[in-house]
Amino acid sequence: MPPGLDKLKHIVVLMMENRSFDHMLGSLKAVNPQVDGITNQDPYSNPDTNGNLVKPQPLAQFQGQLDPDPDHHFPAVDLQIFGGDPNRAANMQGFVKSYFNQQRDVGHSQKIMYYFKQSDLPVLTTLALEFAVFNRWFASIPGPTICNRAFAHYGTSFGRVDMNLLYVNEPFKSIYDRLINATPKHTSKLYYYDTTSSTMEITNLLQNQPELFGTYQQFLDDCQSGNLPDYTFVEPNYSDHDSDSGEEVASDQHPDHNVQAGELFIASIYQAIKNNPTLWESTALLIVYDEHGGIYDHVPPPACTPDQFTASANDTGTGMPFAFDRLGVRVPAILVSPWIQQGTVVNRVFDHASIPATITKFFLGDYSPRSPRETSADVFIEPNVPPVNPARNLLSLGVVRADCPDFDV
Amino acid sequence: MTLITVPRPPKSAHNPDRAVSSLLKWQVEHLHQAEKRLPLRYHGEVYVNAIKTEGEAARYIHDVTEAIHTAHEDEAAQRLKRVLRRKRGRKT
Repeated sequence: MPPGLDKLKHIVVLMMENRSFDHMLGSLKAVNPQVDGITNQDPYSNPDTNGNLVKPQPLAQFQGQLDPDPDHHFPAVDLQIFGGDPNRAANMQGFVKSYFNQQRDVGHSQKIMYYFKQSDLPVLTTLALEFAVFNRWFASIPGPTICNRAFAHYGTSFGRVDMNLLYVNEPFKSIYDRLINATPKHTSKLYYYDTTSSTMEITNLLQNQPELFGTYQQFLDDCQSGNLPDYTFVEPNYSDHDSDSGEEVASDQHPDHNVQAGELFIASIYQAIKNNPTLWESTALLIVYDEHGGIYDHVPPPACTPDQFTASANDTGTGMPFAFDRLGVRVPAILVSPWIQQGTVVNRVFDHASIPATITKFFLGDYSPRSPRETSADVFIEPNVPPVNPARNLLSLGVVRADCPDFDV
Repeated sequence: MTLITVPRPPKSAHNPDRAVSSLLKWQVEHLHQAEKRLPLRYHGEVYVNAIKTEGEAARYIHDVTEAIHTAHEDEAAQRLKRVLRRKRGRKT
C-alpha cells in the first residue's frame, strides 16, 4: 500500500469564504500552465452595461474594493453564469452586469473581474504550487454560504438554495454523526474560531450537538499534543471583534474582510499541523472555499447528478425550479500533505459533497444511506483498500518530503 | 526548508463598526431562532433587529453561542444527578 495512505490518520478541512478560483489562484497559470487560471493573453472578458468588454486584471486589493459585497444569492449567480442568455448556455458573461445591479456604477462594476497577483497571496499560492491544486472544484450549488456548507456536512442541502434555516431531513446524517456513531467509533470535531465567531451550522449541529465543537485555540493545542480527531472541520473568524487577547480581525476573506488576515489564518492552520512531525506525516489538509462570492471565474460549471430534492421556482427566485443538477462556480481548493508530489494539478471534477464522500469512504468504507449527490461525488483521498489506483492517489510519494515550506506565523 | 514571510494585515483592517454583512445577519437570525428554543433563563436582552454593526452582531453571536453550550452542560449535569439519585435509591 502507498505509505502516504497507510500512515494517514487525520483529515482536516478548512473552509474559507466567498472567493473564486480565478480571483485567488488565476495568476498561477503564468507560473504553471497546467493551472487553469487567467493571463492577459487569454480571450476572457465580460461586457459591462455600456457594452464594453472588461478583461480580468491583476488589480485585486486586500480590502475596500469589493464593497458592496457582491451578490452571490441564487438569482444573481444565475445571471453571472448565463449572462442573461435566453437559451441558457453557461457563458460566464454576467458578472459585471450582476455587480452593476448593486450600485449602478459602471466603473465600480468592472472590479468584479479583478484577481490577485501571485505575490499578493504568498500562502495560498505557495500551497497551491507546492502540493495539489484542483482545477475543477466547484461550489455544490450556484448559491450562497449556508446551503453550500451543508453539502460539506451532509452531502446535500435538503433542497435549499438560500440562507434560510436548513433543517436536516432523515435519513441523511452529518459526517460527524456517521463517524462518532460508527463501530468501531471514530472521532470528529468542528473547530470554530471562538464563541464570538461561532459556526455557520447552527440549526442542527450547534443547537443539538454543541459537544462537537471546539475553538481555534483548542485546535492548536490538539495539534501540539497530537490529539487531533480522525476528521476535523475548521471555520475561520467571521467577524472583527474584541476578545480577551485583544482585537480579532476577521479571517474568513468574505468581502469586505481583509484578505491578508485570511492568509495568516491559513498559514497558522498549516503550521500547527506541520510543527508536530508525527501529525504532519499522518494528516491531509484540504483548504477550500464555500462559494465564489459573486466574483468572476471563467470556467462554466458542469452538470452533475441531480439530488433527490428540488427547489421550487419560488425558492430559487428565478421563476424556474432547480433540480440540483448543475454545480456552482469554481472555487480554490488545495490538498496539502508531505506525501503529495510538488506541483500536482488535479483535473477531475469535485464539489463539497466530495468531502463527506471522501471521509466516509476512507474511515467507514461502504455506508448508506447517503444522498445521490454524495454517492456520485468523486473522492480526493483514495480509500486505503487494495488495489489503490495509482492514477487517482494523490498521496503517491514513496518517501515523505523534507522540502515543504514553513510560514512565519 | 524555505521560510515564507506572511504579511500582517494593517491595524485599519479591524473595524467592528463596519456595517453588518448579510452573512452575519443570517448567522444572527439562525442564532435568534435557536435562542427562542432555549429556556427563558438563558435568553439575553439584545433586540436583534437593532443590530447594525459587525461588533454588535459579534456580541450577540457570542452570547447565544455561550448560552447554547451552557444550557446543554447544565442539562447534562442534571441528567447525571438524576442517574446518581436513582442509583442511590436502588441501594437503600
